[in-house]
Amino acid sequence: MTTLTAVKVNRRRKVSPFTYLFLGIFTFISIFPLYWLFVVASNSNEEIAKIPPSVVPGSRFLVQLRALYEAVPFNWALFNTIAIGVVIAVSQVFFSALAGFALAKMKFKGKKSFMVFIISTMMLPSQLGVVVLYLIMANYLNWVDDFKSLVVPALVTAFGVFWMRQTIDTQVPNEILEAAKLDGAAVFRIFRSIVYPVIKPSAFVLGLFSFLYTWNDYLFPSLVLNSPNRFTVQIAIRQLNGSYTQDYALIMCGAFMATLPLLILFVFVGKRLVSGVMDGAVKG
Amino acid sequence: MKKVTRNRKAIVAVAGALSLAATTLMTAPAHAATTKLTIWSFGNVIDTSLQAEYLKLHPEIEIVIKKGDLDQHHSGLKNALYSNVQPDVAAVELSYMGEFRNYSKYLTDLNSLSPSATTIKDDYLPWRWDQMKAPDGAQLGVPTDVGGLAVAYRVDLFKKAGLPTDREKVAALWPTWDKFIEVGKQYKAKTKSNFIDTTGAIFGAVLNQGTEKYVSADGRLIYSTNPTVQRAFTTTANASNAKIGSLIPQYSPDWGVGMNKGTFATILAPAWMLTYIKQYAPKTKGMWDVAAVPGKGGNMGGSALTIPKKAVHAKEAWDFIRWYLAPEQQTKLFLDPKNGAFPTTVSAYENAKVVGYKDPFFNNAPIGAIYSQSATTLKPIALGNKDRTIDNTFGQALSRVMLGKQSSSAAWGQALSDIKRAVG
Amino acid sequence: MSLLQKAKMMPSRKAAGIHAHDKWGFLYITPFFTIFLLFGLLPILFTVYLAFYHWELLSEANYYVGFQNFSELIKDPYFWIAVRNTFSIFFISFVPQTIVALLLAVVLANPHLKFAMFWRTMLLIPWITSVLAVGIVFSQLFGREFGMINVAMQYLGLPQVDWVGGTIPSQVAIATMINWRWVGYNALIYLAAILAIPKELYESAEIDGASRWQTFIYVTIPQLRNTLTFMLVVGTIGGLQTFLEPLIYGGATGGDSRQFSTLTLYLFEQAFINGRFGYAAAIGIAITIIVVIISFLNYLGSRKIAGEEGVKS
Repeated sequence: MTTLTAVKVNRRRKVSPFTYLFLGIFTFISIFPLYWLFVVASNSNEEIAKIPPSVVPGSRFLVQLRALYEAVPFNWALFNTIAIGVVIAVSQVFFSALAGFALAKMKFKGKKSFMVFIISTMMLPSQLGVVVLYLIMANYLNWVDDFKSLVVPALVTAFGVFWMRQTIDTQVPNEILEAAKLDGAAVFRIFRSIVYPVIKPSAFVLGLFSFLYTWNDYLFPSLVLNSPNRFTVQIAIRQLNGSYTQDYALIMCGAFMATLPLLILFVFVGKRLVSGVMDGAVKG
Repeated sequence: MKKVTRNRKAIVAVAGALSLAATTLMTAPAHAATTKLTIWSFGNVIDTSLQAEYLKLHPEIEIVIKKGDLDQHHSGLKNALYSNVQPDVAAVELSYMGEFRNYSKYLTDLNSLSPSATTIKDDYLPWRWDQMKAPDGAQLGVPTDVGGLAVAYRVDLFKKAGLPTDREKVAALWPTWDKFIEVGKQYKAKTKSNFIDTTGAIFGAVLNQGTEKYVSADGRLIYSTNPTVQRAFTTTANASNAKIGSLIPQYSPDWGVGMNKGTFATILAPAWMLTYIKQYAPKTKGMWDVAAVPGKGGNMGGSALTIPKKAVHAKEAWDFIRWYLAPEQQTKLFLDPKNGAFPTTVSAYENAKVVGYKDPFFNNAPIGAIYSQSATTLKPIALGNKDRTIDNTFGQALSRVMLGKQSSSAAWGQALSDIKRAVG
Repeated sequence: MSLLQKAKMMPSRKAAGIHAHDKWGFLYITPFFTIFLLFGLLPILFTVYLAFYHWELLSEANYYVGFQNFSELIKDPYFWIAVRNTFSIFFISFVPQTIVALLLAVVLANPHLKFAMFWRTMLLIPWITSVLAVGIVFSQLFGREFGMINVAMQYLGLPQVDWVGGTIPSQVAIATMINWRWVGYNALIYLAAILAIPKELYESAEIDGASRWQTFIYVTIPQLRNTLTFMLVVGTIGGLQTFLEPLIYGGATGGDSRQFSTLTLYLFEQAFINGRFGYAAAIGIAITIIVVIISFLNYLGSRKIAGEEGVKS
């Protein structure tokens, strides 16, 4: 959509081959570490350390994969992470859309201070509360080694509310709401049948952001998860790095397998993520 | 309207999938009618083949192991002791025993179990047994192994450097640490290659040959005044300045690569280290041998198994510990060619099989004789609450010397002030 | 659709939403605020409380110490090393990252570019990779003895660099991890901002005969000012949270001479390695204060910029 508007100008500017070279180099840099994960995961340590090092995939990937599954219950980790990620994403989108709707289109007392509050909390470093959050989980709620400790605090985020407020504010015309109101529609029905369809693409992107965040989150899960079959993918991989360190190949195999599902997801949603990131830029 | 119905369908589908997921999560553990014994450890404290043997004897037990690196494991254990979810069995390493033996509020007194720990007490080396005795008299752990000191060296590389290869003659090369460094210099001059994997390891070895470390027997902090600490530090710094060591950290993947490539010719090897060498560099089988350590014998490391207070299966945990650390199993573990942890059980030292054991991986070195000799000359060293913190701080200081960032005396000075800030 | 038609037929008046349903507004934000207060704000308040205590995890005696944690912190050389490292890592990541991202954005904004979406998508791949995986692969690449980068340098006859032990090399290694992960993402943000610049500005620059470089300096950059300051703030807040990269790279101390220990890593070390939760809380508050100061400076800065622009137009 944005590219179309730019078509008219810059007629003079031809795309030089250097541009493609430049982009090619950066694409290569973007992919190389992931490729390297696979190279090391499929070679022996000696292959990698010799001079010159082996830079093509070897034949030992399946051997390492089996070792990975022996070392950690990786299928559980995948399942746990996907389940937790989806629950959090759905709830974040839902609660953020509700709150965002109220903050964008409704009038009530203290609305402005709520907005200021939300924006200022977005500035706080996320690790600030982690120490105490662990104490709360351990001593008051008894949620250690329980998925509740990961899911419940993540059900809402200030960023999500901010994102949905901006979306609804700019994408849902007031007129349409007025008209619905004249029709006598209840607020929740307006939300469901008018607002929701309009904001669906943005909501999807927010859900994706949230899912990616949960997938990659490390610090707090590492504190609260104890049982190997409750591990998330990142924690399972860290296990390899902390205790089975004799083998680069095994560690790298783990890191590769932890990234692979996201790469597959990316094939399907990559374009939407790109436009989501770019939309976010304009919103900010 | 159509859109709405489609959305509703989508919502129903998602909700369905989620509840399915949730039920799978809830019901998954139910199919196992067994008792799940959770064990937290690090390194090789729990041997896999011995574990498998226990499971064969006890089909009703399932063992779930969680491992971390040394510090990760102990800090995770502390976090867990604060919470209500605790493992059934937890390993505690020597450098943390001074701290963990104070936690009789959080760890089970094994004397209070049935049968009481007093019934097996006499099987173990008394000083190792007492290391997990709480100030209030509670027995919080059972010792796993003794890390008597020796030096593992590469016969092929020694030969190439024109050094003797016979273990008696090799030991005669280095009656003292200064001589050890001299040999290292010769080796380096001849081969341009490193003599020892890391000079930092010398610190712990020298330190553990003394009678006191960071605290005195009556509990005073003496890390800054104890001549042994100072000697250990200077010796290590001298070795670093002589550039006889590689810069590869132990237990890193590079360490294994280095072993396989022959990047270094010696590793200071407490008994349990042999297991690591076998794991990291299986292809070097037969290239190693083991000789006596410079100076006199000493103990490095070793662990204990404990049962946290809130362990769900304390009884099964106690059954496991008593079996796993019984003299028979400890002997078996030592004689297992894949392992090499040296027993803490007294009877092993009289067992001809143990004392006479020769390890094919190490060129049939009589490691039974070497380590039992090293272990029986040991004197226990008083443990302190913050041993590990002090270890790590001295380790970092020596690292700075090794990398040429600081002089020995500057590193020593900074280490003392860093430790003072951290432990008082 | 019928609703939209109705809406269009309505006389346009200033409609600010659904006035009649004020009370619903509260209801809609309640779930958010309840959970947020309990799990977001409450821990932060409790952190403030903790910062005034000597508080160790399994200790029997935790007691009030007043400002002692803070006065200790100010005299703590490790803390200042962490401050220095955090900012220097931020600097050596943010500056090159921004330059490269801007270049990429300008290139991507070219309307004649073929496979535009393909390039954009490829550039976003690093961003979806977890920090843990990034840390693992770059730790191997930068390995001291057998890392691919040193091995390659040796092969080319270049001197070996100690990417772990050296202060600047190790920080460069960590900054590389950060840059790799974020450069494409940032490029997309700048791209969005460039595409939002009014085309007339470029047209008139073209008529004036401005070169590409001149257009970039005199048209693009000034128009990106807000985005740049925004990214600076977001980048600093992100930079202050640098944690997992150094942890994977060299453990909780951030190297033997703490050469890449960052503020958040120091917080982690004090809490979960040394068990000093009260002191860790004080570090957390210090981080927050730094964030607040930076945000305030930025606020002043952006007001100044806004003022200047007001005069110009």
